[in-house]
Amino acid sequence: MSDRSSLVGKEISRFRFTVERGKIRELALAIGDDNPLYTDPGYARSQGYRDVIAPPTFGTVIDFWGGRDFTAMCDKLQMNPVKVLHGEQEYRYYGEIYPGDEIEASCVLQNIVDKGKMHIFLLETTYRNQAGATVLVARSTTIERK
Amino acid sequence: MQQQVYFEDFTVGEPLPPLTKPPIDKPQLVRYAGASGDFNPLHYMDEVGQMAGTGGVIAHGMLIMGFAGQAVTRWIPNRYLKRLAVRFVDITRPGDVITVSGKITEKRVEDGAGLVEGEVVAADQNGNVKLKGSFTASLPIKGS
Repeated sequence: MSDRSSLVGKEISRFRFTVERGKIRELALAIGDDNPLYTDPGYARSQGYRDVIAPPTFGTVIDFWGGRDFTAMCDKLQMNPVKVLHGEQEYRYYGEIYPGDEIEASCVLQNIVDKGKMHIFLLETTYRNQAGATVLVARSTTIERK
Repeated sequence: MQQQVYFEDFTVGEPLPPLTKPPIDKPQLVRYAGASGDFNPLHYMDEVGQMAGTGGVIAHGMLIMGFAGQAVTRWIPNRYLKRLAVRFVDITRPGDVITVSGKITEKRVEDGAGLVEGEVVAADQNGNVKLKGSFTASLPIKGS
């Protein structure tokens, strides 16, 4: 605990992901979300977008496929992976994510809270596109049962 | 075409049209694993679920958040959605039928934008809550 608390306020991972049209479509299909903004470029253009856009929970695709290595993160934070639960997830939207975008994500450990039977890790990830614009900020709480 | 939606179209306390999803099945969890990249075997190998004490596979929490995102963007066009936040309350299993419901909890005008706050809840066929959350949208005001 004393070791990992020194990580609070620090970046614990940084990764890149190129947004592919197919991954947007695949996520929408897996959720069963038939919103044509995710799959039909013509429709998306008719709505004023330059292409299809990513669904609201696309940040998770960037995390897993962009190379945020869960096991490595658990190692770094000295968490036991089988004792870890996803507690909360928040997304703040600042701009659209389009196919072809080169997203760079930076994940910072905001805090570790000792709740007695569990530790709660607060992580904030900022996603920037190739123009340097922040398009998405994610805050998540990860619960580690003791 | 998505219809133009305005701040004035929403009323505090107003329930939003619920979205009921088809029953979750294992193929959907496999698809979601591939789509999201979350290959935790707890979501597609029953024996891992047995070991973890969940009695079998459970759905990805983020899949249920995906349902919430689908419902919220039916209520509020994507371009106006500024925030979506959820707390994972309980596990979801194959066979569960999830309904996402919501309502508007607050409206205010800030810097010329119509801000709307709402709550979103995903529950199964027995009314057991799986996820609870909130959203914020910034909507155009009529005539401005």
